[in-house]
Amino acid sequence: MMVWLYRTSKLAIQNFWRNLWLSVITLFILILTLFSISMIASLNLAAGQAIQAVKDKVDVDIFFNPQIAESEILRAQVFLEDLPQVKEVTYISQDMALENFKVEHENDVTIQESLTNLSENPLPASLVIRANNLEDYEAILTQFENSEFNKYVQDKNYSNHKLIIDKLSLITKRIYNVGIIVSLIFIFFSIVMVYNTIRVTIYSHREELNIMRLVGATNWFIRAPFLLEGVLYALIASITAMLLIYPIVLLASPYINNLFAGYNFDMLYYFYQYIWQIFTLQLLLSLLLSSGSSMVAIGRYLKS
Amino acid sequence: MIIFKNVTKTYSNNVTVAKDLNLHIKPKEFVSIVGQSGTGKTTIAKLIYAEERPSKGQIIVGGWDITDIKPKEIPVLRRQIGVVFQDFKLLEKKTVYENVTFALEVCGAKQKHIKKVVPQILKLVGLEKKGERFPDQLSGGEQQRVAIARSLVHMPKIIVADEPTGNLDSINTQEIIDLLLKINNFGTTVVLVTHNRDVVNSLRKRVISIQDGVIISDQKDGKYIL
Repeated sequence: MMVWLYRTSKLAIQNFWRNLWLSVITLFILILTLFSISMIASLNLAAGQAIQAVKDKVDVDIFFNPQIAESEILRAQVFLEDLPQVKEVTYISQDMALENFKVEHENDVTIQESLTNLSENPLPASLVIRANNLEDYEAILTQFENSEFNKYVQDKNYSNHKLIIDKLSLITKRIYNVGIIVSLIFIFFSIVMVYNTIRVTIYSHREELNIMRLVGATNWFIRAPFLLEGVLYALIASITAMLLIYPIVLLASPYINNLFAGYNFDMLYYFYQYIWQIFTLQLLLSLLLSSGSSMVAIGRYLKS
Repeated sequence: MIIFKNVTKTYSNNVTVAKDLNLHIKPKEFVSIVGQSGTGKTTIAKLIYAEERPSKGQIIVGGWDITDIKPKEIPVLRRQIGVVFQDFKLLEKKTVYENVTFALEVCGAKQKHIKKVVPQILKLVGLEKKGERFPDQLSGGEQQRVAIARSLVHMPKIIVADEPTGNLDSINTQEIIDLLLKINNFGTTVVLVTHNRDVVNSLRKRVISIQDGVIISDQKDGKYIL
């Protein structure tokens, strides 16, 4: 087995070197394919995470009149928690609201001073509602407004993030669709290029292949160098694509993170987190493209 | 050793090159298949090493019915049959030693076995001192001897030589024929496909004459009669 692997690998490397320019062009196309697909995948991932980050920010605050007893607010909390659309309801007491306010403005001297001058806590108690889905907020609010607890309400704060999310989804979807088309074009060219390269290699080695067949080499021995040549393309292409993507992510990361300032999103962090998955996927895809094309090309030759 | 039973070969363009052939070549025999160009001699050779399949009839080689041989079985058959061609079919970028070694390497032979067998074969064909030369540094006769050496590395039971002297002058031709006779004396069956009248007449061996794809004579101690 080792002898077999050594000899077929040697032939594969020879094939690669003897048609160096053709190999380089094939690699170039394969790298472009991987690059474009990776970009689309990264965009998809980033957009998904960004949308999730925006979604995580969405909640509804219901502020209660300061005269309302805490027991009534807690009853309202139970009412809301019983609604199927509600994910969680957090009760923020007046004291907690004040504490939070102090922490948020700890560097603002004017606010800190005015707070110490106040004789009583001006901040109302509130319930922070998170829904299971973005679309559920309106239903939750309607049900709450029809309940007995609505009369205790001083104010409601529902920032409509739905618009941002819809816009983001639309832009992402458009870029994604264009990216898919570009990737498909590159995939097509990759298949054609690898197939063509292997056919040229077969043509330039036809004497050698004929002799192999004549002296009793098995079809697998004849196939193996071309298959390994495909593996070689896949390895070089996926490593090169990663080496190209890394500096781009590194450069683009601060700008993209800026776009999502205030949201829980860090592009570089996601890249590091998924780096092996990205590489494995690239390798598998390029293996499928290059080895698949090689197998078809050599298969056709062996049948002829 | 080789049996053809009512073998017919018709190509896809409806050209029949072998018609209802019946022949029986015994082990250790030296048989010349003769005929004019285009009469079907090479097709018979190709049928023996399964490069072509018969359209009708049955072919048995070494007791093995290869009429409907499966593609994956062909390499096994080819290791039992050495094939030599008019154009030598040597790899120009490989040395004599590498050309012969190549045949063993691609069949998965171990390095130890290769190192033992190849020098012996080169000695047999008289090229033991030219192992490092490239084909273009050899004469036609020497190149054909390399091709014969390559065909012998698997120690085949049969050698099929398709016009092996077609590109050679009379001196080199005689050398190659002598080499084939020597191999035959070791017990290898030799099938020589040729249209060289002098060679056939000098051999005084069995001669099968083909005309238009049909066997017109099969003589034990034959002459070129066409």
